[in-house]
Amino acid sequence: MLQEHVKNTFFCWKGSLNAFIIILLDSSPVEGVSLLEVSPCLLGFISSVVSSRASESSIISFALKLIGLVAAAEDGFRALQETSVLDLAFDPQHWREEGLWEDPCIRIGWIHGFSTMLQHRQAFSFFVRADSIKPLLQLQTDTSLFVASAASQMLTQVLMFCHPLSSGFNETEVDNKSSSSSITGLKCPNATESDHESAAVVTEILEFLKRRMLPKEPSQLHQSQQILKLLASILSQAGPSLQNKLLLTVGESLEELVASNYSQLTRPLMDVILAGYSSVGGDVKVPDPILSRLLSVMLNQREPPDLIHAAAAFLCSGHDNRIHMEQSAGILLLPVDIITSLTLLEGNFTVKEHQLSMMEQLKNKTSCVSMICISLKYIPKITLMAPDCRPCPPASVVGAVLSLLRLCSGLSPPSVAGCVTVFRNVTGSGKVQKCALEALSALSSSPEVKVMLVEVFTLLIEYLNHPDSDPTVLQKSYQALLKWIGVCSNLSSITNQLKQDLTQVVRKRVCDMRWEVRDSTVEFLGHLAGLPACSTEDGGVCDISQYVLGGCCFTTPLLMEALHDPESYVRASAISALAQAMRNSWRQGAVPTKEQAEIVTQLLEILSQDTEGFARRAVLQFFITWFSSYPSCTSSPLLMQSVRSVLLQGCADLDWEVKVHTLDLAELLMDQAFLGQHGYTKGLESHPAQPHPYAVTAKQAYTLHTHSGTHTLSSDLDGLVKQGLLSVLLSGLFDCDRPVGLKACRLLIRLKDALLLRPQDTTDAGKTDPGLNCELLSQGWAHEIRNVLGMEDRTSGTDAHTVTINVCDLVKCLDLEERLDVLTRSSDHFYNSPRSLLQDILTAGSAHAQQDSQLKEEVIVDCY
Amino acid sequence: MKLYCLSGHPTLPCNVLKFKSTTIMLDCGLDTTSVLNFLPLPLVHSPRLSKLPGWIPKDGTMNLEKELKECAGRVFVDSQPEFCLPERELLDLSTIDVILISNYHCMMALPYITEHTGFTGTVYATEPTLQIGRLLMEELVNFMERVPKAQSATSWKNKDMQRMLPGPLKDAVDVWTWKRCYGMQEVNSALSRVQLVGYSQKVELFGAVQVSPLSSGYSLGSSNWIIQSHHEKVAYVSGSSLLTTHPQPMDQSSLKNSDVLILTGLTQMPTANPDGMLGEFCSNLAMTIRAGGNVLVPCYSSGVIYDLLECLYQFIDSANLGTTPFYFISPVANSSLEFSQIFAEWLCHNKQSKVYLPEPPFPHAELIQTNKLKHYPSIHGDFSSDFRQPCVVFTGHPSLRFGDVVHFMELWGKSGLNTIIFTEPDFSYLDALAPYQPLAMKCVYCPIDTRLNFHQVAKLLKEVQPLHVVCPEQYTQPPMTQSHRSDLMLELQPPPMPYRRCSVLNLPFRRRYERVYILPELAQSLVPTEVKPGVSIATVSAVLHSKDNKHTLQSVPKPPPVPPTKKRKRVMEEPPVAPKPLLSGAVPLEAFLATLQKHGITEVKVEETADGHILHLQAEDTLIQLEEDGTHIVCDNNEPLRTTLRDLVLRFLQKL
Repeated sequence: MLQEHVKNTFFCWKGSLNAFIIILLDSSPVEGVSLLEVSPCLLGFISSVVSSRASESSIISFALKLIGLVAAAEDGFRALQETSVLDLAFDPQHWREEGLWEDPCIRIGWIHGFSTMLQHRQAFSFFVRADSIKPLLQLQTDTSLFVASAASQMLTQVLMFCHPLSSGFNETEVDNKSSSSSITGLKCPNATESDHESAAVVTEILEFLKRRMLPKEPSQLHQSQQILKLLASILSQAGPSLQNKLLLTVGESLEELVASNYSQLTRPLMDVILAGYSSVGGDVKVPDPILSRLLSVMLNQREPPDLIHAAAAFLCSGHDNRIHMEQSAGILLLPVDIITSLTLLEGNFTVKEHQLSMMEQLKNKTSCVSMICISLKYIPKITLMAPDCRPCPPASVVGAVLSLLRLCSGLSPPSVAGCVTVFRNVTGSGKVQKCALEALSALSSSPEVKVMLVEVFTLLIEYLNHPDSDPTVLQKSYQALLKWIGVCSNLSSITNQLKQDLTQVVRKRVCDMRWEVRDSTVEFLGHLAGLPACSTEDGGVCDISQYVLGGCCFTTPLLMEALHDPESYVRASAISALAQAMRNSWRQGAVPTKEQAEIVTQLLEILSQDTEGFARRAVLQFFITWFSSYPSCTSSPLLMQSVRSVLLQGCADLDWEVKVHTLDLAELLMDQAFLGQHGYTKGLESHPAQPHPYAVTAKQAYTLHTHSGTHTLSSDLDGLVKQGLLSVLLSGLFDCDRPVGLKACRLLIRLKDALLLRPQDTTDAGKTDPGLNCELLSQGWAHEIRNVLGMEDRTSGTDAHTVTINVCDLVKCLDLEERLDVLTRSSDHFYNSPRSLLQDILTAGSAHAQQDSQLKEEVIVDCY
Repeated sequence: MKLYCLSGHPTLPCNVLKFKSTTIMLDCGLDTTSVLNFLPLPLVHSPRLSKLPGWIPKDGTMNLEKELKECAGRVFVDSQPEFCLPERELLDLSTIDVILISNYHCMMALPYITEHTGFTGTVYATEPTLQIGRLLMEELVNFMERVPKAQSATSWKNKDMQRMLPGPLKDAVDVWTWKRCYGMQEVNSALSRVQLVGYSQKVELFGAVQVSPLSSGYSLGSSNWIIQSHHEKVAYVSGSSLLTTHPQPMDQSSLKNSDVLILTGLTQMPTANPDGMLGEFCSNLAMTIRAGGNVLVPCYSSGVIYDLLECLYQFIDSANLGTTPFYFISPVANSSLEFSQIFAEWLCHNKQSKVYLPEPPFPHAELIQTNKLKHYPSIHGDFSSDFRQPCVVFTGHPSLRFGDVVHFMELWGKSGLNTIIFTEPDFSYLDALAPYQPLAMKCVYCPIDTRLNFHQVAKLLKEVQPLHVVCPEQYTQPPMTQSHRSDLMLELQPPPMPYRRCSVLNLPFRRRYERVYILPELAQSLVPTEVKPGVSIATVSAVLHSKDNKHTLQSVPKPPPVPPTKKRKRVMEEPPVAPKPLLSGAVPLEAFLATLQKHGITEVKVEETADGHILHLQAEDTLIQLEEDGTHIVCDNNEPLRTTLRDLVLRFLQKL
């Protein structure tokens, strides 16, 4: 009956089949118990789907994958074979006759089913006897990319699977890499036959690769690309013996392909070569001579754009071949060398050979921009090479990038030797500017480049000042500036004039028309304030922001102005930057100034009135930073006073992130009050590995200040209740947003633990302490609590609208653990559990059974 | 076809085109950069300027103390400022038939051309060009007349004296032609000659050529011109812009297929992108106001100011400048702001559609309404009572030599909090500031020039493909200060023809065709013969009648009956000669040889040549050259044979 239901309902179950497969895989049966034993109905379902002519292709595809799952176990395989469903299901001809093979969904099901099944020798024998290798090879160049990619993966799997078999069990060399997926450990009744089968399959695959690799006409380039991808995938997984065999078979074709100069094949070819290179591991240090030869050709004899790609690929691969490293570095530097006319490659005659052809390529705008961008992307890597290996000192590379940036913005004339056309191609090119600025950022961490600081500083200020710089270029300029300032511990070389220029340009950019620019500028001010201290010319240590821009007296007024910006991102950035800028003074415990009081007023205004969530979230972050940086929070009335307002407003906010941040602040408050108390655990310790998936994580770990006072827990709690902590937690608990509820629930549990686990004497005191009571209104979350608790019995209040309740009683009665369990599981958990799915299926099925059975197929269950 | 170049200024052109018996002046721009050599005219008495020491040459040979004053290390002429006029000697200005004006900035020399020169022609311009041009002229006259200066310095212009002066006075050219500003009477008289035209309207000039203005996208009513006859087309491109600002977009397609394209008025700031400059303008403005300073924007009372105000309209809120007053001070401020709102048909599509809502096309109306922007004719009067600082003031003249701006320079120049932002590209800002040095006020130079840059013009020319391009010589080489920027010049094939002040160019195209009309009765009398399918020809005998550049073929009048005369013999000797028939067709070789054979000429040696064949009649020692467009019979001393051969050839040809 159940089987019948399952089958019928499957026909009307669309869209959730893959989910079901995942669930089947996830809820893997107990070891020793197969899927069929757990769900015997599957067999009937499978055979009826496969033999039915009315099945939909998506159902068949699903069934094929399911067959793979079932047949992955030997007993399941045998059971399926007995019903001869396997022959039918994995016969492409059968599906062709049904007219279904055209549907990629069936082909992908066929591949996935087979590939899941190939876990044991019987399955492999079945694969060979059914002559499935031929359709599989065909699918490798399928019109559907998904099918082709799946077929490639399966071919690799088949090769890995059968190569150890074909190479014979007695062979001493067994591929280490493929042993995990091999079945050499399994006993086979007729091993010789199986070896022959495997050898035949290996030969067939290798021959196929060799035959199809070379494109006979340009239209076959795609096919060659596919073959090369497959080859790269095999090479990266194959052990030395298979690799040798592979290279012996296809080496010649590869060489021919490398010599043919098809530029579309450069990248896949490099992938193949590098895959071969990478797989040289263990004790075998020398790469295959064929691979070395191919690599030399790729790095020497191709057209410049291909050369660049090949060089980039080699440099990225991290191989330690000195000659090729030098060659690659030279090629990557060549475009910049040509454009800037700086002699980066002095004496490198091998690379200089390409100068003329490269120059020709650079005259074409598209290829010029593309080559320079690739070159710039990898230039920082070159500077990290061993000193005896790199073509020029890192400082020269930085100089070249600066020179290129000057050309791009028209700031400096091209040198006489530079080609005018090439120069025109890069002038004003935003793309090159961005790439160069990224390269400049990355170069900041290269060795021996700090001497360039002043030059970099000067250029970046020029960029920041340039009227035509677009917002992204400006943002990247700021980032590069920060990086360089950040890595240079000694900024004494920055002249006063430069500092003045920077302040001037920041002052201007903060008033820019484009909000993106204002935002980047404000962010820059924040990040700068967040940098560690630097040493000055007189040997002292100074705050960087102070040293470069004059510190808060320059920054704060600009940021305060930005709090009124019409764009919410800018306001939010300004708030974050203010927090960064004031952090140092907070850390030192400085008494808040009049200006800070003014800022607090403005921030509270933003929290209560700003229409955009970003700004309000930032306000919460500001107070969190303040609270966690200030050494003694309670000693600052301004802070404590504002925290109360922030908590009140924050928990009433409409934005769930604001509410979560409010709870973060509440947590800090609790930590400060209770840390060190018996039974209280610090938030980060109690749930270390469970941040909820959508939560915004705090930018820095909070520093907690344990208080050393003589306060009792009760008086602390009393203080917290007055601060509004309890209402924040309770309102959060009943919030409709799960992350808010979850966080509030965790905090309440900690509160409960602290309250209940405290020493007895204080508990007694607490019971009588009126401060441990809280008031519940009859609206909103309080009303909710009243309902949960059945308030009539527990009320002791006089007002019908407001009831007072003891906090301890309250947290005890709320059944927080159960609530936490529910909240942790999330809605997905309920709806996607196999139990829930099956229940849904059954409910849908029985609903049909009760109604007209003719309408069965019409009903579609919407699976959330 | 000739082009007389009366101005060397590439953006203030004044050229004269002689084309098919018409003399057309293309623009008459006034080069006002000469005023930079003069001392500013302060509206309010300036003790500083009045106490400047006279310039005394080192050797003490000249006495120019009264005329030349020394200020901040430079020498200025203490006199009413003078302008450098277009060349007036190269050509008799009274022979000019029409003047075509392309935009209001290029007509400021009009009174100098049309008045007191014997000019009797017509001036063509669009309505906004006329109206705003009038405003600019009125403003200029007003600026000059309200600060009258009795003194007129002329001694320094003496060649011998000028040579001894320090630069840049020493290097000033044609100082004798510099003239003081015209008066309102001249302006009115000059403008009364203007005839209004609309875009694409065709105006016939004496039946010889047709002129037609096209939208150029640069300013309200700005135009390029097409000057064409039936078979020739000259395009005149003056200040044009492809940017989306307030005017109607540029009409590019009508410029196609010109024989000659005269290209002037490209951007003066090829490296300054207008968008970037606008951004600079706004951020510097906001920065100054936030710091409590005032912003002075010296500008013309029409043109870019509309875009500046529009940009500020959007920027004011984002920069928290809502409470900062913006003042626009000019004798014509009110008219300029109002005019801009009424020329809806000359505006870009976006602004045009606003009119139907109905809303004012420019948002400065709202700024005025909300009292954020206030305008005044001068600093005197209402302004002085409303004036609040910090503020932003837009006022003229951008040269800083006259107008209300002089007063603000004196007022705000001493404080480093204030900023002057130059947006007009016509004057070097350093030269403009020279008489105000030393200056504490910050200076920002963000010239906004929306005219075509070299990249845009190269693309435009590629599209419209003129046969020849004529342009100021400045465009054929990179700017002096950026000699490496070969992208900042015109590179064309064939290379453009450069001109400079006083050049006379023979434009490189020959007129090959002329349209001729044929009267119906004459046409009826023609007997066309078909020479090949679809092509018929006929011979015409007629009288060609030309009047007002219109050519007509009329029937030949019948000769009057010959009166009896005694010289009868002579009449008999000269019978009326009928025109020879016209031959057409070709002589087929084979058939001709067969015919020759029939007539007993058998020994024929045929030689093939590039153009046809040579038949050598060996026995007769005669040659017959058969070519595509002619047949020659070379036959000495045998007239009968020649005649026979001729007749044989004629048998194969058609007669008309």
